[in-house]
Amino acid sequence: MPKLLCSFLGYVAFATLAIAQAPQPGAAVSGGGGGDYRSSSGEAMGDRLFDVNSDSVDMENGSMQWKGKTFNLGNSRAMRMRFERYLASPAAGGDMTKYIATLTQIEKILGPNVVTQNNIYASQQAAFDLLFVAAEHEVDGNNCLTIATQVKKVWSMRAEFRDLNINKNQLETLRKIQEGVVVNRAERLEEANDSKANSPTTASGGKATLNKTSQGQTELGFRVKDEQRTQAEILAKNAEMIALGLKAQVEFQSQMVGFLLARRYRHCLITSAFYRVLFKGGNQNIRVGAKEVKEFFPVSDFVPTLESVDTLAREAMGDVTTGMRTVDDLYKQGELYGAFERLQETYFLGEFEPSVMMYEQVKKREMLDLWRDLRELQRLGDERDLANVEAYVNKVRGRARDFPGAAILSRVNNAINASNMAVLSAKQAALSGDTAKAESALERATKIWPQNPSVKEFANQVVSRQDKLSLMVPEFDRMIAEARWREVFNKKLEFALALAQDKPRSDKLREVINRVGELDANIQKASVLASQNNPYLAWDVIVEISKKESDDLVLAKTRSDIAPLVADYARLIGLAEKLEREGGEAAALTAWMAAQDLNPASPSCGAAVKRLAALVAKSAAIKAATTTPIPAAVDEVPVPTGK
Amino acid sequence: MSKVNPLFFALGIPVLVIVVLMAIVIPRFAGGGKFTDLSPFSVDDYRKDWATLQGNAYRFDCQIEKQLAYEEGKGRVLAVKPTDVTRGSGRVPLFVPLSAGETFEVGQRFKCKVRVVRDLLVVEDLERF
Repeated sequence: MPKLLCSFLGYVAFATLAIAQAPQPGAAVSGGGGGDYRSSSGEAMGDRLFDVNSDSVDMENGSMQWKGKTFNLGNSRAMRMRFERYLASPAAGGDMTKYIATLTQIEKILGPNVVTQNNIYASQQAAFDLLFVAAEHEVDGNNCLTIATQVKKVWSMRAEFRDLNINKNQLETLRKIQEGVVVNRAERLEEANDSKANSPTTASGGKATLNKTSQGQTELGFRVKDEQRTQAEILAKNAEMIALGLKAQVEFQSQMVGFLLARRYRHCLITSAFYRVLFKGGNQNIRVGAKEVKEFFPVSDFVPTLESVDTLAREAMGDVTTGMRTVDDLYKQGELYGAFERLQETYFLGEFEPSVMMYEQVKKREMLDLWRDLRELQRLGDERDLANVEAYVNKVRGRARDFPGAAILSRVNNAINASNMAVLSAKQAALSGDTAKAESALERATKIWPQNPSVKEFANQVVSRQDKLSLMVPEFDRMIAEARWREVFNKKLEFALALAQDKPRSDKLREVINRVGELDANIQKASVLASQNNPYLAWDVIVEISKKESDDLVLAKTRSDIAPLVADYARLIGLAEKLEREGGEAAALTAWMAAQDLNPASPSCGAAVKRLAALVAKSAAIKAATTTPIPAAVDEVPVPTGK
Repeated sequence: MSKVNPLFFALGIPVLVIVVLMAIVIPRFAGGGKFTDLSPFSVDDYRKDWATLQGNAYRFDCQIEKQLAYEEGKGRVLAVKPTDVTRGSGRVPLFVPLSAGETFEVGQRFKCKVRVVRDLLVVEDLERF
């Protein structure tokens, strides 16, 4: 702002109300004419949150764009506070209608159609008096008194100007007298010189009488000096008068432009009206703020005048009126977010306009709540607290159904996915031992979403990994040695992380996981068969896997659940296995066949029958030749009885 | 010459035929035929405790269920079930040596002389019926 003030009002240091305008670096020049100062990206709340430079009202930099120009409204914090204070405050009190009528009356009194040569002083005085009436209203902020003071100052300057003129005239009269005296003294001196030249000569040839030849010359010199002093005084008075006039113009114009840039458009118009009647036609050109006024009119060779300032002020007032009408209409249609945006823009364009100041408090209160939620949402966005953005977007949607939250949520989801992908990449890199890549991926994930819980979880895993490693390796070895496959399987994730760099143990872990996985699949298969009223086949599965995993507790439990359903079958199989172990292949074959009678579809029974039958066929001749009974019979051999 | 009463022929020939047939069929249905001097084989006893039957020979009437194995030069193992289920109805394996010389088809019925050799039922002689 300071650099803009320097460029704008280099010599108008007293224009305290002037808020300089400056081009916003990188700001899009949009919302040109026609009073449409809507943001070119107003439809995309995502941009509004994350790229505030595109806004017509830029809360970050405390500026506002209007007609392609950027108004600097002060620092962003003060701007925010001012708008928040406006939303929270009640509607302006007092008789606003009367106040506006008074201001309008002042303008009318000073209007070019009313002021004539005859009533010019009376009109000034009447308007001047009304300024004090208007200043009594709270909403005026005593700005009319400032105008009155300025007018009074011009009047005083004018009196001073008159005094200077009188003095100058008196000096001129004196100078003319002094001039006459000088002329008189010069003539007398010339006469004396002439008489001396014409006097008779004496006998000796000289003049009869010798008079003073330089008589009157000294006096003449003093008289000339007096006349020159008077002339110099007159010139000094002239210069003083010119300076006085210029000073009055500059002060008045500064005040007028100051009101315009402070967005007190009505006061600007009144100041302009006073200017017209206070100063002569030759002094109506703009001396102060001409450059800035020209920037509102992108026309080459444009000559700014008082009317240019008037036009800007009236156009701004019209835009404010239209803006407030739009705000109210949007509010009535339930589009609170749109109403809020328009109110924000309209407020910063004409916060001192009566229509803005008198807007209903109830409506402003609703927008204040929305404004606070939006600020919180923006804060969450700035801090990239993506997890909470969705909840706040929904909250804002609840308040304002026209809030464009979909774009925000889409961006948030993309960011969350990108962060999670980066964490996943970091995990993979860490598992493969590529620390540099893991760090890079983790940094990327944190940058996108600093509070990503996956990042925290991964960081904790990495930190505790070394500690765990020293404990997990001996534990793993112990479990493997004790064949506690199920326990290893249950802690597979911890072991996988801890043993990632230990290839032999990782391979062993993978083997155990596959083994227990296969066991669980078979247990599941047996359970399903049992539940489908097929207990014999379920038992076959149990018996088969029991050969390899006899110590597994889950298998033991499943076996005990199914066993009562297949007691006879299990007994036959047990007997068959026992007989086979004792060398009674044929008896075992008989037992297997008996079991097969119970469970004809049993693959294990079929296989056992086939295997033992072949064995029996092969060894039958040997058996037939053997005389020693095996096993030894305890009971007597029943003697076959004849019929 | 005395004349034979025709009624004698009319009644005598059918009676003779019936007697001859009964002489042939009744022994078969009454469990007669080969191996009638042997005790019938009890499947239940064999299954319960084969050791007590070792060395004994029995008559076993059975029907072929399936051929379980065949060993070249030695014989075959058949799965058979008893035709008389009063002494057990389950299937048992039966070893038929190659010397038995029969052709076996599923469903055929035989009268067998079997001997319990250790735990194996070995066919010593057989007759199809």
